[in-house]
Amino acid sequence: MKFWDKLLAIDRRWIYVVIWLVVMIPLLVPFGIKPEAMPPVKMMFAYIDTMPEDKALVISVDYTPDTEPELHPMYISLLRHAFATKRKVGVLCVSSVMSLGLAESGLRQVLEEFNSRAETPEDSIVYGRDCVNWGWSTPFITILLGLGERVTNVFPVDYFGNRTDTLPIMAGLKNYDDMGIVVSIAGSSVPLSWVNYAHTQFGVHMGCGITAVSAADFYPYLNSGQFTGMLAGMKGAAEYEQLTAEKMAALGLDWDLQRKGTEAMSSQTAAHIAIMVFILIGNFAFFITRRRKQ
Amino acid sequence: MQRRLPLLLVLVLGIFGAAAFVIPHPAVRGVDEVMRNDVIRIITAFSLVLGVGSIIRHHLIKIRRKAEHWPFSWVTLITLVVSAILGLFGGIDPASPGILFRAGGVGRFLGTFHIQVLYENMMVPLAATMFALLAFFMASAAYRAFRARNFEATLLLIAAFILMLGAVPLGRMLIKPLPEFAEWILTVPNTAAKRGIMFGVGLGTMATSLKIILGIERGWLGGGGK
Repeated sequence: MKFWDKLLAIDRRWIYVVIWLVVMIPLLVPFGIKPEAMPPVKMMFAYIDTMPEDKALVISVDYTPDTEPELHPMYISLLRHAFATKRKVGVLCVSSVMSLGLAESGLRQVLEEFNSRAETPEDSIVYGRDCVNWGWSTPFITILLGLGERVTNVFPVDYFGNRTDTLPIMAGLKNYDDMGIVVSIAGSSVPLSWVNYAHTQFGVHMGCGITAVSAADFYPYLNSGQFTGMLAGMKGAAEYEQLTAEKMAALGLDWDLQRKGTEAMSSQTAAHIAIMVFILIGNFAFFITRRRKQ
Repeated sequence: MQRRLPLLLVLVLGIFGAAAFVIPHPAVRGVDEVMRNDVIRIITAFSLVLGVGSIIRHHLIKIRRKAEHWPFSWVTLITLVVSAILGLFGGIDPASPGILFRAGGVGRFLGTFHIQVLYENMMVPLAATMFALLAFFMASAAYRAFRARNFEATLLLIAAFILMLGAVPLGRMLIKPLPEFAEWILTVPNTAAKRGIMFGVGLGTMATSLKIILGIERGWLGGGGK
């Protein structure tokens, strides 16, 4: 068997080993990357940054643990941005009950980041006053339409079992009219349901955070203006992290927080290059062996 | 009757569901609200019971018959019971413990093993690991199957290269406007193609919905068309 034939028939486990190495090594020793934000990310950031102060950022955590590495950094960055700019935040889950744990752990992490550094009570982020986790409810069409009428009807109790109508934040967060933007972060097509029911019927601004593989499906909605902004994949997460870090530094909150999206970009870069090299080698081998056979 | 009643329900509720979107009359709105907020939720609650019952029955049958991979059915059933007990009686976190973890409860043997610990330490890594396997399969498939055999395949290959390079910072380092060009591919040609597909899918969905509402399409009733 000639060299190129051998190369075409290579045991796939060798490919697995190479992929494992190119993912693992940059994770352990990341190379310096400074993401440069693309227009969809800039649009989302700019809207949240400049929306009226009395309007809340609502994040719909619609992803499950399988897409956590790609989507969770977006959630963390959005929370940091909102808390740094003193926005009220509402968190909910509409698609899967498996999202609940991620919604809670992300909120807990960012509350801890801010409250452990707060110097005065005013600097603290207080649950129930500045943010709320409404938890999960079903079916999603009921939630999406019900939020246009009254949030407390759809979520009578929050994630912890507190009555939502007793939480101070709810006084100024009655329905979509009080929400500056709803950002649905999902590994599925849930953000499109948000567009269909929340944006089309109630006119609320929508943003989305989605996996890189599904990004192509969302561009028509971004073009039409139905999405105010979009974070696509690890790259989108890293770009939003960069913008948030710059904003926080400008506000004097230069805390050097962990940026998992940016850290993972080293691995993603190496993996993309490895796959491209595989494709090139595979094609060379294919054409050389085909020509020889002819 | 067994077939006529479901067909009648679908006809009435299907037409009402669509009409409620465009009729702002308070009476219609009121009924629509009850349907959405109460009726759908009650039906969903029943479907949850059906789902749990179905999965338990399916795995018990597998265990009884010693079907292929039957020991894994035990794993499913045990994890279902454990997570349900922890979720229902364990509370959400140590700050608000459920009856399992209160003084005198069996939770004293479990320490702080509440549902969030189970979720963060088992569910998250397991699910992420399963999804991460995709990277290996994709790399292997790209090596074996992604061939520039003809013009269309070559075009696809070039577009894939541009998008892959555009998605990482190296792309900008090699060719400065590459990320913008990748963005243009997604924004213009991709959107044009997607819109065409979406129109087709939308019209198809409407036609299928009408067929179901009017009782022309009855596959959902089951029974193999009897």
